[in-house]
Amino acid sequence: MSLKDLISPFYVWQRAFEKPYTQKRPIEDRPGAPRYRGFHMNSEDCIGCGTCESICQNRAIDMVPVEGLEQRPGDSGLRPRFDYGRCCWCALCVDICTTRSLHLSNHYAWVTEDPDAFHFTAGTDPMPWNENSLGYRRDDDYHLLVHDRIEMEMLGPDESVRGFDEVMKGYTEEQAVLEADRCVECGICVATCPAHMSVPDYIRSVRKRDYETGLRLLYETNPFSSTCGRICTHRCETVCVMGYQGDPIAIRFLKRAIVDRVPAERYREILGDDVSDNGRTVGVIGAGPGGMSAAYYLRRLGYGVTVYEAQARAGGMLRYGVPSYRLPDDQLDKDIDYIRSLGVEVRFNTLVGRDVTFQSLLDTHDAVFLAVGLNQPSALRINGEEHPRVLSGLKVLDDVANGLDPGIGRKVAVIGGGNVAMDAARVSRRMGAEVTVLYRRRIEDMPADPDEIHESQAEGCTLVAQAIPVEIKPAASEAQVTIVWGEAEMVADDKGGRPRPVLQEDRMHEETYDCVIAAIGQGGQIDFIPSDYREQIEFKWNKFVPGDYQQTGLAKLFVGGDIANSRADAISAIEDGHHAARGIHRFLGGSADA
Amino acid sequence: MNTVDEILDFAIEREQQAADFYSSLADRAQSAWMKEMLLSFSQEEMRHKGKLKSVKLGDRLLKADQHVQDLKVSDYLVDIEPTADISLQDALIVAMKREKAAYRLYSDMARTIDDPELKQMFLGLAQEEAKHKLYFEVQYDDQIMRDN
Ligand SMILES: Cc1cc2nc3c(=O)[nH]c(=O)nc-3n(C[C@H](O)[C@H](O)[C@H](O)COP(=O)(O)OP(=O)(O)OC[C@H]3O[C@@H](n4cnc5c(N)ncnc54)[C@H](O)[C@@H]3O)c2cc1C
Ligand code: SF4
Repeated sequence: MSLKDLISPFYVWQRAFEKPYTQKRPIEDRPGAPRYRGFHMNSEDCIGCGTCESICQNRAIDMVPVEGLEQRPGDSGLRPRFDYGRCCWCALCVDICTTRSLHLSNHYAWVTEDPDAFHFTAGTDPMPWNENSLGYRRDDDYHLLVHDRIEMEMLGPDESVRGFDEVMKGYTEEQAVLEADRCVECGICVATCPAHMSVPDYIRSVRKRDYETGLRLLYETNPFSSTCGRICTHRCETVCVMGYQGDPIAIRFLKRAIVDRVPAERYREILGDDVSDNGRTVGVIGAGPGGMSAAYYLRRLGYGVTVYEAQARAGGMLRYGVPSYRLPDDQLDKDIDYIRSLGVEVRFNTLVGRDVTFQSLLDTHDAVFLAVGLNQPSALRINGEEHPRVLSGLKVLDDVANGLDPGIGRKVAVIGGGNVAMDAARVSRRMGAEVTVLYRRRIEDMPADPDEIHESQAEGCTLVAQAIPVEIKPAASEAQVTIVWGEAEMVADDKGGRPRPVLQEDRMHEETYDCVIAAIGQGGQIDFIPSDYREQIEFKWNKFVPGDYQQTGLAKLFVGGDIANSRADAISAIEDGHHAARGIHRFLGGSADA
Repeated sequence: MNTVDEILDFAIEREQQAADFYSSLADRAQSAWMKEMLLSFSQEEMRHKGKLKSVKLGDRLLKADQHVQDLKVSDYLVDIEPTADISLQDALIVAMKREKAAYRLYSDMARTIDDPELKQMFLGLAQEEAKHKLYFEVQYDDQIMRDN
């Protein structure tokens, strides 16, 4: 060994006085690059859809409950918890995030004495990088999800006003599959649907073109799927997470995509017609969606069901209110005929209170479900209202449904902004009239479906918002009527309700029409219930207030639908009927989880 | 009415009359839910009466400085003759109009009187009635004018 070899290890000492290449405390001194993929951050926009959890290939994300965060419509109440023993910082979760709440900070080192600390819930746990503005964010033009809804073919306004043909044509199979493909299956919509339909599951069945499974899934919670696939108020779509950056999934139309592909003749084979008889009977008052839904689920549980219906056909307001260009009769029949085919008896032209007494129903049946809806139009209660050219919106729609001419003339004013007003206006356009809709509030306050408002405008109806009718006067011709209306200013409601219109007396208008169609609201009629029974039942304003499972203080009586809920739409009536059927089953000793 | 106490007695008596009016209408009402509704109107008037009583006892002050929104709903609705088969809509119209009449009465009295203390009392009562009217107007707007 040479001398050089012997002393060379000591040369290293000279390095001891040079500036080192490594750093002592890298965490403090070396920030990550601006787009570095460090630890996760989550903003308040997160609604806990769990799409990040589904996409993560390393199973590094768990959706977990967070203290102080409740589940509410459109928010699961869960938040993503990250496991840094598994995460590989691929950022797929950030790229897919439906609300763009998830980011990666550029923090990459985290020293703690807690051995379990490689788990944390982003945005909720107090981490030092929660306010970090750098790191990885998805670029605006980079999308893993398809944001645009697949358009459905529909009649153009010029064509649609020419008759009563259905306006929406339904998806082709290819279109339906493409639309179903957009769903991320988060299930946020399920809690918001009044019937809690298993939306992601039936959307999956559309994707798989498995319509039999789809139909079975629909009927678990909704025996009016052909109807709801067309006219449902689609509350689910208002919370669909795809709506945050694009169009919500066309949930309503995907329901229709299933039923449109299963012919009525196959329903019994697919859904089964093996209904046993348990020897008990239930009377149902009203063959609207509420009554018929209860009838369906009760029949499935083995009850003998008799429905007492005042009209000659079943369907309630879906038959006599909703016009056929939105819901063709044969589609409503498809739903109703299947229910009846299971042995549900409907006694038509039977008005409870006139043709049979309420007492006789209580005596005959083991329980009674009442869903008589709201069929008494509210009066305008302004001077001159009794003029023969002032018509009720419900009556006009009823005439049209029965093939009668409501005699509206060529120039029509419709008062109101709900479903009845919009349908009366659109029906009037189809009968060739020039239509003006007068509404007391703003267009955005209208209770009618926004699609309907839009379509009515496209079809040529003129909407006049903030217009308060104050008087009806005779016109020069007896075949006409004059309406006096004043402009309204909106004032805020101190208690947080919708803004309220206040008449401005100095801004009044007068206009003459062939008729004025009043559609300002409806009430119910339950005078057939004897007063000593009514005393046992709770009411608020003009509605029933049912207890658990839609039961009233009169134990044998269950109620639902428009007369007992504030939402007043078909799907809520359907859910009430389903819920009451379970309640009646429990009441009569059946299993609680039927 | 020359003293604050006399005015309050008058107002208390009027609230009692209103309560009696609704409960006698409730007695006659054919429908059970209207019966219940009218009884709740009557209870509302009894609450007003209770409030005025505590003002008289000095437990509470009647202020007249608040702006109460006038929705003017009752201004353009027809007068209703209450009958046994009165509907919810008509009962609310009757109630709005009665509160409005009471409001007018007290405001007119406030205008014709010079004594500042009495004037203040009438204005306070007028404001109370305006609040009651607003309550019924809001109910009418929410329950009857749902689609309008
Ligand atoms: C014009 C119009 C458009 C609408 N559009 C939509 C829409 O697009 N989407 C939506 O979801 N909802 C819509 N609705 C609301 C929907 O129709 C109702 O929410 C739903 O029909 C309520 O169901 P129900 O079973 O409670 O009552 P109803 O459908 O009103 O049925 C009640 C049934 O009871 C019968 N009946 C009443 N009294 C008696 C008695 N004493 N004896 C025997 N039978 C009796 C009636 O004849 C009727 O058939 C619309 C309503 C109207 C009027
Ligand atoms: S429809 Fe929308 S909300 Fe429902 S599961 Fe699909 S993506 Fe989620």
